[in-house]
Amino acid sequence: MNWLDKLSEKSTRGLAQQTSRRGWLAGIGTVLAGAASVPLLPMARASSGGQPKLEDVADTGDPLSCDYWRHCSIDGFLCGCCGGSHNTCPPGTEMSPITWVGTCRNPVDGKNYVISYNDCCGKTPCGQCFCNTNQGDRPMYRPDKNNDINWCLGTESTVYHCSTSVLIGLAVE
Amino acid sequence: MKGRTVCFAFLIAAAPHAIGDGPVDAERARLNYMLNCQGCHLPDGSGVEDAVPRMNGFVGNFLHVPGGREFLVRVPGSANAALDDASLAELLNWILVTMSPGELPPSWVPYSAGEVAELRSAPLREVEKVRAGLVRSIQQHL
Repeated sequence: MNWLDKLSEKSTRGLAQQTSRRGWLAGIGTVLAGAASVPLLPMARASSGGQPKLEDVADTGDPLSCDYWRHCSIDGFLCGCCGGSHNTCPPGTEMSPITWVGTCRNPVDGKNYVISYNDCCGKTPCGQCFCNTNQGDRPMYRPDKNNDINWCLGTESTVYHCSTSVLIGLAVE
Repeated sequence: MKGRTVCFAFLIAAAPHAIGDGPVDAERARLNYMLNCQGCHLPDGSGVEDAVPRMNGFVGNFLHVPGGREFLVRVPGSANAALDDASLAELLNWILVTMSPGELPPSWVPYSAGEVAELRSAPLREVEKVRAGLVRSIQQHL
């Protein structure tokens, strides 16, 4: 077994002489600091919470049109026409964390997806691209499925500006 | 004690068929959460201060105090949900195990469809008052 001891010693000493411990620590430190900063990047709360990656969902249509499939039950001004997009709020407004949630069928893959209709709040109504598509909208006595409500709840201001259609999941059967 | 709790929660999570009296489909429970709960309770169950109760890291505490187990089914969000009893039982068990494993009593028994059916037939009228009382009991228990 003597040869094995020598081989181990030689390779260990070689490794110790050729590599820098501080360099290794610096590398690990960089990775840790980088990983710690990722959650600090700005992001909408509606899309957080361990949802699956949905960026690659097959898409079609114009997000600035009421006919866009993700807007199947929207009631309000499209944020994409107001300086934001179909899933982000315009500058100077705050996305309401409290929302109503429904589903829309994607015409490309034929699957139903879960859509969160987060309103953007804090500025007077945008007035551009009004849509009222209402698929799956329920009467006021079913408030969690109703789009006539001002969903600017839990925000600093309750003044409604525009609406988003945030894709949050796949509706499994 | 905490270690035991965590281990138990892990076992439950690893053996999904042990939850409730029907097979549990975590994907289905999560979809039902998205469609029926997260609009107010938020995607991770963290709620909104002074407006929507937090479930994440807390809701399991209700199972430690008398009346708490019943409360979770009799609140409007549960009792009035457009879900049948088996789906509601599955969803409640999923919420407890997923969002509050650290607070669950080690010997908790998952909800069954039958238990949920009986409890939701008597929905709460004074929810905030009942909740405040239960939270006081929880604080004394901890």
